[in-house]
Amino acid sequence: MKRALLVGAIAAALVVCAIGAQVQTSPLFDPANLRAVGAFVRGLFPPDLSPAFLPVVARATLRTLGVAVAGTVLSMALGLPLGILGTASLWRRGPLLEGERHSLGRAALAAASLVARGLSRFLRAVPELVWALFFVVGFGLGPLPGTLALAVSYAGVLGRVYADLFEAVPPGPIVALHASGATRLQAFAAGIWPQAAGSVAAYSLYSFECCVRSAAVLGFVGAGGIGAEINLSMRLFEYGQVTTLLAALVLLVLGADAFSRALRGRFQRNAVHGSGLLRDALELRSARRGLGLVWLALLLFAFQQAGFVGIAAAGLWPHLGRFAAQLFPPDLSPAFLATLVTPLWQTVAISVVGTAIGIALGSVLALPATSTLLVADPDRRRGLPARALRVAIHGAARASLAVLRSIPELVWVLLCILAVGLGPFAGALALGLHTAGVLGKLYAETLEEVPPAPVEELRAIGAGALQRLLWGMWPQARETLASYTLLRWETNLRVSTVVGLVGGGGLGLALYNDVQLAFYDRAATLVLLIYLLVAATDALADRLRRRPTARGIALAPESALALIAESGSAAAP
Amino acid sequence: MSFELREVALVYPSRAGAVRALDGVTLAIAGGERVALLGPSGAGKSSLLKLFNATARPTAGAIRFEGRRLAALAGSDLRAVRRRIGTVFQQPSLVPSLTALQNALCGHLGSWSLARSLRALLAAAPSDTRVALAALKTVGLLDKAAARADELSGGQQQRVAIARVLVQDPEVVLTDEPFASLDPGLTAQLADLLLHVAQGRTLIAALHDVELALAHFPRIVGLRGGRVAFDAKAAEVSPQMLRELYAHEARGAVG
Repeated sequence: MKRALLVGAIAAALVVCAIGAQVQTSPLFDPANLRAVGAFVRGLFPPDLSPAFLPVVARATLRTLGVAVAGTVLSMALGLPLGILGTASLWRRGPLLEGERHSLGRAALAAASLVARGLSRFLRAVPELVWALFFVVGFGLGPLPGTLALAVSYAGVLGRVYADLFEAVPPGPIVALHASGATRLQAFAAGIWPQAAGSVAAYSLYSFECCVRSAAVLGFVGAGGIGAEINLSMRLFEYGQVTTLLAALVLLVLGADAFSRALRGRFQRNAVHGSGLLRDALELRSARRGLGLVWLALLLFAFQQAGFVGIAAAGLWPHLGRFAAQLFPPDLSPAFLATLVTPLWQTVAISVVGTAIGIALGSVLALPATSTLLVADPDRRRGLPARALRVAIHGAARASLAVLRSIPELVWVLLCILAVGLGPFAGALALGLHTAGVLGKLYAETLEEVPPAPVEELRAIGAGALQRLLWGMWPQARETLASYTLLRWETNLRVSTVVGLVGGGGLGLALYNDVQLAFYDRAATLVLLIYLLVAATDALADRLRRRPTARGIALAPESALALIAESGSAAAP
Repeated sequence: MSFELREVALVYPSRAGAVRALDGVTLAIAGGERVALLGPSGAGKSSLLKLFNATARPTAGAIRFEGRRLAALAGSDLRAVRRRIGTVFQQPSLVPSLTALQNALCGHLGSWSLARSLRALLAAAPSDTRVALAALKTVGLLDKAAARADELSGGQQQRVAIARVLVQDPEVVLTDEPFASLDPGLTAQLADLLLHVAQGRTLIAALHDVELALAHFPRIVGLRGGRVAFDAKAAEVSPQMLRELYAHEARGAVG
């Protein structure tokens, strides 16, 4: 039977990947490991709120925020030209070009446009942690390399997003402008920008949220901020400090989300009315000059926090030049390439096993977290104890998902190393725990939002809650669930290339070792390999999504973005 | 099998304050009866059916099925009662991504264990499938068994819903204006089908087609404003009673 074959193939692939990720149950029950985990959990409480430590937390939080703000601003500055140049309707095809003669200049611009798109893809395919690792070597420890890593990585994301937004603009006004003799840049300024500015602002704010999450973990490779402090406290076995730092991280992320949501709402409202950012900026300039100065001061402060003070220091630029020169040419000798097969395979295996763990654990938690199955089911017994128990189980499931989700993957790696030791299994487990939190929440929400009428009819027939789940909710939700899971696997593959930087195995470990040993030509090869891997995955996932049988698998862009925000790592929307 | 309602009221909370869908309804229906519920829109017919199939609980008063208060049931007891009561809704909502056959199989859910429902989602037992295919044949949709429900026309979906009731094999069949959304030719066909399916079972039908009701239902219950306006043998229903039932100036209640 076809289905049996498919199930068999999936099971076989999972087993092979489990072997690749060195999945073992014995370390999970090793008394020494259990003691280490026990000590960690006990050590988390009470959180360290001593007068000596709180200023450290405050400084680290401020630094992370500064890195995120400066990184966002720089990524916008880099992403905008990339986006304009990458816009196909300006340089490569469409009504603007139809009337033009073929010329050398036009061909060169079209080629530059393709290069801009390719560069965006490269910048965002290489994880920001890898960029940070390189910049740390180039610029030294501190927030500056983190900021630059965010700038470069998110410039790749924004370059693509901006180009997509510019291309989606209705062409009418541009054609009219072009017909009246406007140049392409004039057509952009008068025809495209005013229509797209609102969305550009909204998506830029959105990427700010992601930057905050990313900035927090960049410290793991030496780029300062909360991540560096968590790393340090873990190594010093000061777990009470870890609690405090994690709390600061969650508060920072929630604060950034709330700030950006509030601003985004305003931009989107304006975007509907057709003026958007431009009018807001003008308003800001004329009526609120004082407030504008405050913003400017805050921005300068952010850049100061992000390490842009000693940037002219003697010796920095020559050092950077030497480092960059050592990256070329990348080491492509067969002997070295042969050593990469195992880490490459480990990375893929980590992403698959991590996603599988996430699916399993996420599903188990998603069911009690689905309100329509538990707390909002009118058929359940109505006594107060029974109801209180249901509410408690529901709340506990939701809270577990929130905890799993809000702790970044790399922090989970450090914890999993305590439980199972260094290596790919720790990486896969960490990925699985974070993924469970993300997927569990998405699964629960998807199940709750299924059209209720068919499910209600099954209730009238006498179907119990789990039968309604199987026959009424699952059939209606399965395509959305599958597409969320696929998208998450793409993200996880990206993350699995970096879990090795903190001891989780795979390509990240090889990269870390080569950078530590100053084999920069090998490190360059590894970055290329990571790029190829991520690009290949994206292409594969795109093909899976386009399968004609995958009915309705297309994802609303908003939900895709929500998913990316959860991840805390940059991915192209 | 019997239904007994005593002074039943059903109140829906709504933004504009509580809506009284049913008020002081007292009614008894014995096994094997055929009862048509008539009344203008909002008279409370649908609400009454929700009480009958135990998907709503009365706000006041009591509804008893074989002497047991439905409102006191929960969990497996509730399932056991619902299994014996089949409903054809006004606009059937089949599970869109399941096939016609699978939707018909859903009629088994009330009697299947959880394990059996899980297995059936992958591959139903031959005996269960035979029952479902026979039901699809009865409603004339055997050739559409493998079609997804969202690829069927409205009339075809209604037939699948009837096939699902056949599979369920309940003692009571409830129908809620099942032909309201169909064209007249189809209505006649489906009415015959439904009457055929309901043979040997208690049938309670909310209808807006008065002639159909008078022709096929020995007992007529008129509802207006959430109250029983009359409860009479079909032969005793006079044009005057019907005029008053459907007269304009619907007072208050919605449902």
